[in-house]
Amino acid sequence: MNTTVVESWIEAPLRQFVDDAGVHLALLLHPSGHVLAQHGFTRSVDVMSACALAAGIHATSVALGRLVDDRPFGGLHHAGRVRQIFIAEARSPRGAYIFLTVFGHESSLGLVRLYFDELVAGLAAAAPPDGPAPAPALAEHFERDLNRNLAVLFGRA
Amino acid sequence: MSLVNYATREITCKIVYYGPGRSGKTTNLHYIYSQVPEERKGKMVSLATQTDRTLFFDFLPLDLGSISGFTTKFQLYTVPGQVYYQTTRRLVLQGADGVVFVADSQARQLEENIESFQDLHANLSDQGIDPRVMPLVVQYNKQDLPADLILPVSELSDAINFRDVPEFPADALHGPGVFETLRGISEIVLRRLSAGSAPAGATK
Repeated sequence: MNTTVVESWIEAPLRQFVDDAGVHLALLLHPSGHVLAQHGFTRSVDVMSACALAAGIHATSVALGRLVDDRPFGGLHHAGRVRQIFIAEARSPRGAYIFLTVFGHESSLGLVRLYFDELVAGLAAAAPPDGPAPAPALAEHFERDLNRNLAVLFGRA
Repeated sequence: MSLVNYATREITCKIVYYGPGRSGKTTNLHYIYSQVPEERKGKMVSLATQTDRTLFFDFLPLDLGSISGFTTKFQLYTVPGQVYYQTTRRLVLQGADGVVFVADSQARQLEENIESFQDLHANLSDQGIDPRVMPLVVQYNKQDLPADLILPVSELSDAINFRDVPEFPADALHGPGVFETLRGISEIVLRRLSAGSAPAGATK
């Protein structure tokens, strides 16, 4: 199964979680919906959709939790017939992230929660100090690439 | 807040289509979805009410292909336009790299357009973002309607586009202007990224 990360320090704790908890899919994302790391997805566009929905679920559940209990929900669990979903906030020194995982009969909610706590601790230990991020060096005439790709997208190539 | 992954040379940008209710934000995304080849798009997600009004957001992931050696992906979002979905609009705006303001060209919608444009600026300010530096384009949609129902682009521009950002007349239902709008915002967002506005998730 493939694991990809945007920030390299996330990879080891995430792989550890996937191995220990025996999950099918795992996603770590920023509350804005940007993916930071994923395991198990085959198409990047599916990752983006899952992130957008997870960010929406998290935002609404935080607001709902505050409304009914004066504090956000600690986590959300969906028990499907074949697959289960667990979503929770993962705090790290780099900020609050959202974690989503999908698992089947070979794992359990208890195991997932146990190893989720270890994942959060692993992320806290691995996070580098926040520093200024470099900007990507796009070619001077990147508009040519942009126009070509947009033309392909809209069938005008 | 573009994400740049230097290891895999990927850029991901978030574009939000903003504007008053029924101005055509979702229609823009539907048109884009209908035109883009299967391998370049994900599923379009619409969280809508039973009457097809956007309840939370619409979402369309696009794979733009390689730009200057970076695999470039865009996430297109819409916000619900109705005034009472203020909180939702703020949530969806979070982390946006660029905004397309979709105005309704109908004369009777002018006040709603202005209110929504002010609402956009207020919501950006609330998030600590200087609205003047946020990449923005304005689209004047529904230009296909009879001339006696709509305002000319020059008049709309005078009323709405006080920042003098790039603007595009459009008919999102049938396509004219949709491509040009997406191209306009893409170029500004990528140019800003390249010019050195630090991406939040960059890693070497």
